[in-house]
Amino acid sequence: MIELKSVSQAYGEYAVLKDVNLIIQEEKITALIGANGAGKSTLLNAAANLIPVRSGTVLLDGENVKEIKNIEIAKKIAILKQTQHLNMRITVRELVSFGRYPHSKGRLKKEDERKIQEAIDYMNLEELQNRFIDELSGGQRQRAYIAMILAQDTKYIFLDEPLNNLDIKYSVEMMLILQKMIKDLQKTVIIVLHDINFAAAYADEIVAMKDGRIIREGKAVDMIEKETLAEVFDHEFYITDVGSRKVCVYFQPEMAKEK
Amino acid sequence: MKEKYLKKLCPISVWKQIGLAVLFVFLFLASLFIGVDKNVNISQLFKMDTEAWQIFLVSRLPRTMAVVLTASGLSVAGLIMQSVSNNKFMAPSTSGTTDAAMLGVLIAYLTLGNQTHLVQMVFAFVFALTSSILFMSILSKIQLRDAVYIPLIGMMYGGIIKAFANAVAYQTNALQTLSKIGLGTFNRFTSFDILYLILIPLVLAVVYATSFSIAGMGEDFSKGLGLSYKRIVFLGLCVISIISAATFVTVGPIPFVGLIIPNMVTAFYGDDVKKSIFDVMLLGSVFVLACDIFSRLIIYPYELAASFSIGIVGGIIFLIILFRRVRYGK
Repeated sequence: MIELKSVSQAYGEYAVLKDVNLIIQEEKITALIGANGAGKSTLLNAAANLIPVRSGTVLLDGENVKEIKNIEIAKKIAILKQTQHLNMRITVRELVSFGRYPHSKGRLKKEDERKIQEAIDYMNLEELQNRFIDELSGGQRQRAYIAMILAQDTKYIFLDEPLNNLDIKYSVEMMLILQKMIKDLQKTVIIVLHDINFAAAYADEIVAMKDGRIIREGKAVDMIEKETLAEVFDHEFYITDVGSRKVCVYFQPEMAKEK
Repeated sequence: MKEKYLKKLCPISVWKQIGLAVLFVFLFLASLFIGVDKNVNISQLFKMDTEAWQIFLVSRLPRTMAVVLTASGLSVAGLIMQSVSNNKFMAPSTSGTTDAAMLGVLIAYLTLGNQTHLVQMVFAFVFALTSSILFMSILSKIQLRDAVYIPLIGMMYGGIIKAFANAVAYQTNALQTLSKIGLGTFNRFTSFDILYLILIPLVLAVVYATSFSIAGMGEDFSKGLGLSYKRIVFLGLCVISIISAATFVTVGPIPFVGLIIPNMVTAFYGDDVKKSIFDVMLLGSVFVLACDIFSRLIIYPYELAASFSIGIVGGIIFLIILFRRVRYGK
């Protein structure tokens, strides 16, 4: 279980997280939403102890993350950041094998090789495994990164805007894979999403942030609601039902006012 | 076209490795049996000729070993440096490391007089390490669009250190010492024993190969995997500095090896350090052995400084690499 207790963080004088309290639901997709600069990425980093928090505590399975070695945290939390602008030429398989680092420290044993193979199979990367990642399409590359995180074999998966620069097809594929992973492998996923409709369609829980605070949280179905979203994004939304799903339309503010 | 090539990559790379190993053995043996004394040949050695064996053990074998150690050391230093900094143009010679080692040796000479190689090496190591830490922190402060600028800055930085060393040497009448230590040759009439120290950083480089690859993926990426990025970068700089110091003190500056050899190998294998490290050692040795043999034969029975032929051939290869990168944008 991951629990944040009155966590605050600041860069210099500028406060980015203000007294954040959050319990992350297990075996669910939790989407972090909010405007740019609301503190979503910082929250992920703080929860994974990648940046030390100013005040407050983060509990990982009951232990304060500050007391845990980084390599032990990396056995429980895998994190994928938004800027993977790489110019390293490594193959898909090598990338996936990096995911075993917390367990093997670079010396791969039989067990590690098995996990790597499983991750590659799970993400359908068998045919691409000897290709260099800089030769892949955006969607294939993102799949390779997810395979790496699977090989890392952690309970928690943190994803910081994984849909950036992905085509619609690949974005949907990515979200479906995450849903499948939760069902098959009992993972807990926390994901920063920019497009509110992806959160509406795939997330179980939504945590809305604004100016470094969590202003609303709850089940996705309850969160996709006109007033809530207007408060979070400072923007008028028009919400409609398509099938059993809620869809948010935000392109023409005057459209929202008419209704 | 590319697809086909990649599918075939595995068998081709195996053949390349075998070819490289055969070439290495051939050049290694050739290097052992080239010299003025014609008596040192296999039949004499089999006859247990004492004189032949003496020359072989005192002069030939140490020299050849020195070439192999220096070459594989410098190549691996370049590989680690390029991986950790994620820049293909980094090497001990393009980042001021070699120049700082030179300054260190000069300071050792000025403060303590003529000293053993070990003392010189300690000075060279301290200076090289300090200088590379300084250079890395300068680099992390400036944002550069184009990777080519980094070695340019490194060469300027090295030039400043060299100029400083020259100024100090001029003031203290040590210019002759400086020009003596500034020449790269395997014919120094000195002991090469200290070069065996290179084995330590070489082993470290192999053991931590994966860590160096991950560090090359960036600080955030490394931290996410629980790798202590700063510690690995520091270890990398130590490896580079020990190698640079040991080779500089015994052999002198050897240009281009640390720059071109890793580039040639990673062009085939990609940037995973673990996959390329042994081939980098092998190719580096082959290259320097060939250049050294050439230097010994071209004005036989005299010989050129090995750094001379290495500089010419290395410079040409470097230009080819540079133009290819410009053309293919990588």
